[in-house]
Amino acid sequence: MTRTTRTLLATAMVVALAAPWLSQHLSGQGTAPPAGEQKAKEPVRRLPDGKPDISGHYQSDGGGANYGLEKHPQDFLTPGGRGVVIDPPDGKLPMLPWAVAEQKNRVLPERGYDDPTAHCFVAGVPRSMYVPSPMHILQPPGYVVILHERMAWRVIPLDGRPHVPDSIRLWQGDSVGRWEGDTLVIDTKNLNGKTWLNEVGEIVSHAETVVERLTPVDADTINYEATVTDPLVYSRPWTIAFPMNRQEGDLLEVACHEDDEDLAHLKEIRDAARAGRARR
Amino acid sequence: MTVVRALAAAAALVVIATGAAFAHHSFSAEYDDKKPLKLTGTVTTMKWSNPHAWIYVDVKEKGGKVVNWAFETGGANALYRRGWRKEDLAPGTVLTIDAFQARNGKPTANATSILLPDGKRLFAGSSAPGAK
Repeated sequence: MTRTTRTLLATAMVVALAAPWLSQHLSGQGTAPPAGEQKAKEPVRRLPDGKPDISGHYQSDGGGANYGLEKHPQDFLTPGGRGVVIDPPDGKLPMLPWAVAEQKNRVLPERGYDDPTAHCFVAGVPRSMYVPSPMHILQPPGYVVILHERMAWRVIPLDGRPHVPDSIRLWQGDSVGRWEGDTLVIDTKNLNGKTWLNEVGEIVSHAETVVERLTPVDADTINYEATVTDPLVYSRPWTIAFPMNRQEGDLLEVACHEDDEDLAHLKEIRDAARAGRARR
Repeated sequence: MTVVRALAAAAALVVIATGAAFAHHSFSAEYDDKKPLKLTGTVTTMKWSNPHAWIYVDVKEKGGKVVNWAFETGGANALYRRGWRKEDLAPGTVLTIDAFQARNGKPTANATSILLPDGKRLFAGSSAPGAK
């Protein structure tokens, strides 16, 4: 049996295992507290083996990271951001000069539709964790499974297995996890470098590796950190952090793309820009 | 413009309070912040689609000519989470829409909010204001 076949089988098995968790967690979410009534923080929930129970429906408070990881003001319809980079301490991404130039190029109007998520490719890691759409976490035995509303998922084994061979490259990468105390540590490699970190085109390459740390601090809050190492793009590793908040609600279908009239509009803009350059 | 900016700020607050908007691309590339609009017209079609939904509205111009405007909003699920319902937007419903017109000058705009006949205002979740 090939490694790929095993991976596919394992995925199918996990999905099958997840079914009871799905039915349990996607129904009967309880009722929200009355408006104005502050819900007291409950302690971290536990599984029978004592590990944190982080299963449930979450929305990250990504602080505008999907529109820039560094602190930035609102720009017309593009939201501002509080800045989620906690290392380096100045909150700036340590981009190499070529990356600075490429990122500036990616925000030109004629590249308004180049973000791969605009073409329904999955967001990659860590962006999947801060796109402004919810996710649902499942914990079948031996795995953590993250279902992202934007039609993506991550199946993270906790059994200590090695990563898939380096020659296999994936939009979401290959993730393996382990518990360090109450912190779920997820190590991701084998990324394909085709994703953007956000709509303003912050950059990762195929050399990207990510270590994520999910630490539940109460029953409804996970402190999320991700350290990205990518020596082709950055002069040093950097780390982002934000909370993930458990919410009432269910995942809804996002049939991307059913019909996107923007494509035609943005092609017009791109073509006009190219024609302008040709005239010059 | 001040009013429009205030509405955008209000929309931002609502989005922050309610979560996800579905954004995909550069809005400043497609829409013009110098062209805010407030138009009243009659719904002809509501297209519940992802990643963005569209409302088509017949707007009568000063000379009496009727133009069918296309208003882009957030995705279907973002609208649903903000309280939009199919039955509120039947063809023939009269809406007032705040929006920014497309840079190409066509009757296309990015909606920030709509006002229903019963006075209820719904925010459009359009790619962006305040999405986090």
